[in-house]
Amino acid sequence: MFLQTIRGVRASSHRFSPQTRHQLQLWLLLTPFLGGALLLIALPALVTLGLAFTRYDALAAPVWVGLENFVALFHREVFWIAVRNSLLFAVIAAPLQVTGALLLAMLLHPTRRGVHVYRSSIYLTTVIPDVAFALIWLWLLNPLYGPVNIMLGWLGAPQPAWLVEPATALPALAIMAATRMGEGMLLLIAARQALPAPLFHAAMLDGAGRWQSFRHITWPLLAPWLLLLLVRDVVIGAHGAFTPVYIMTGGGPGYATTLLPFLIYEEAFSHLRIGQAAAMMAVMFAATSLLIGFVFWRTRSWGYSDDL
Amino acid sequence: MISKQAASAPTRPISEQTHLVALHQQNIWRRRIAHILWHAGAVGVVLIFLLPLVWMVVASLQPTGRPPARTLTFFPAGVAWSNYAAIFRVIPLAQQLGNSLLVSTVGAGVTIVTASWAGFAMAQMPLRARRWLVGLALLLLLTPASAVWLPRYVLFAELGLIDTYIALVAPAVMGTKSLFVLMFYWSYRRMATELFESAWLDGAGVWRSWRCIALPLAAPTTLAVLVLSFSHYWSDFVDPLLFLKTSARFTVAVGLRTLQQMYLTDWSLLLAAATIMIAPVFLLYSGLQVWFRDEPDFVRRIFRQMLN
Repeated sequence: MFLQTIRGVRASSHRFSPQTRHQLQLWLLLTPFLGGALLLIALPALVTLGLAFTRYDALAAPVWVGLENFVALFHREVFWIAVRNSLLFAVIAAPLQVTGALLLAMLLHPTRRGVHVYRSSIYLTTVIPDVAFALIWLWLLNPLYGPVNIMLGWLGAPQPAWLVEPATALPALAIMAATRMGEGMLLLIAARQALPAPLFHAAMLDGAGRWQSFRHITWPLLAPWLLLLLVRDVVIGAHGAFTPVYIMTGGGPGYATTLLPFLIYEEAFSHLRIGQAAAMMAVMFAATSLLIGFVFWRTRSWGYSDDL
Repeated sequence: MISKQAASAPTRPISEQTHLVALHQQNIWRRRIAHILWHAGAVGVVLIFLLPLVWMVVASLQPTGRPPARTLTFFPAGVAWSNYAAIFRVIPLAQQLGNSLLVSTVGAGVTIVTASWAGFAMAQMPLRARRWLVGLALLLLLTPASAVWLPRYVLFAELGLIDTYIALVAPAVMGTKSLFVLMFYWSYRRMATELFESAWLDGAGVWRSWRCIALPLAAPTTLAVLVLSFSHYWSDFVDPLLFLKTSARFTVAVGLRTLQQMYLTDWSLLLAAATIMIAPVFLLYSGLQVWFRDEPDFVRRIFRQMLN
């Protein structure tokens, strides 16, 4: 009764009812986020899509050219080379990264003394700034003095020229990207720990070995996470591999490591063919959206939710 | 099998009982050995992951001006701490570190306010608006950064923000990444709604219940977002590359690139600079790890949210 009176008094001193006022205040707190997202992400993404249908060099106003950019793309050899490189990069890097993360998670998921130190040491190598990471690997993969080749020399293994040779440059970049598996490892450790322990106890009592309980319990239950991690790595690998290429190879030797983001950057900011770059962006965006959409659609029924 | 023997043990002759005790002892030893083997394996794996960093530091301390060793000997020609002094002379590294510190501090500071506002408001919204907003945040998470390079550049050029730090920290207005908003959202959702309802009944506005209740209770999330966003701005390479023109304003990421262009083969200098760039990020993350002693749970939550 008392509260209602207070609320009545409060309400009468304002134009809106308390509930509406509360709602308005909440939307006010959301304004920076929504406004920023609109101005810095949503509109730019739409503008990119629009620019794909224009000829634009950042000096004169954009000219509408319809599908000309897309037609031109299909006839440009370097675009197809970049598509092939990006796909190859993803095909090498993503499975390696997910497998590595799974192995690490299987090793480091038990709660034991010291396990935090191990986990965080591995996670730390994932948060190294991109530029520093690229420089370190440029040194590691140096054909003459790099530690990788010196070690291979000890083992009597062949010592490829890595980034200098067209055949090994792209796989080298992909392997390098795959070593950043810290986040995937943490995700899979969390997922593994969320699996009900009685399942594993029951399997043990039934005489299942480690491999059997991994094969028949862990693997199928972790499958959705593994798939999502795979998709994430493919998408991030395709879109995020700009900095290492820019720092380490400049897209070379030849076009051996020209990945799509690097080509887009070159088209837009070096050659000022912005319409063309936007068309590439649109194709890449459409492809990854299709991939994500397809995976979500296929895995809708897989999900099981026990919290949230 | 052992438990069966143990159950029938009292009826057996004494010699067999001692045999069982021996068996039990043997089991303990087996478990201990397995434990030691696990630690050995984990330490081995961690060392493999840390090896590149060790090589980085070793190579950064080699004296310059002579060809690098063709073997992996540690410090064959003495330790040259002077390399670390030298980079401050050959590039304005102190200035760049200062610039980076400014950008990262402002970026992270604004981020924790805006992301926490948005997360708080989202958590208080009615169910439908909440679903819609979480969906939006996840969609923003999947938008590749390269999709917005071009239009953002055009936008900032129109606003006269090219070559200013405002262009670099602008994303902080929207909480830098929608991941950070979601992290706050999930941490506020875990709090009891009665807390905020009673505050509202007591006459506290949205602002007051955010500042006096929600923010202090979400201190661990705030700390995590602070570290994550600070290292985001510290590591950011593409934005300063696109938006900064004056070398006096360069951040350390771009500074490392210019150093690389000037001293392409001077590995000691390059890796010393990389070490300096990595150090603050490592310190922050290690501090966070010590604070939490557990892996961040939010990664798992995000993927679950996406699955459902």
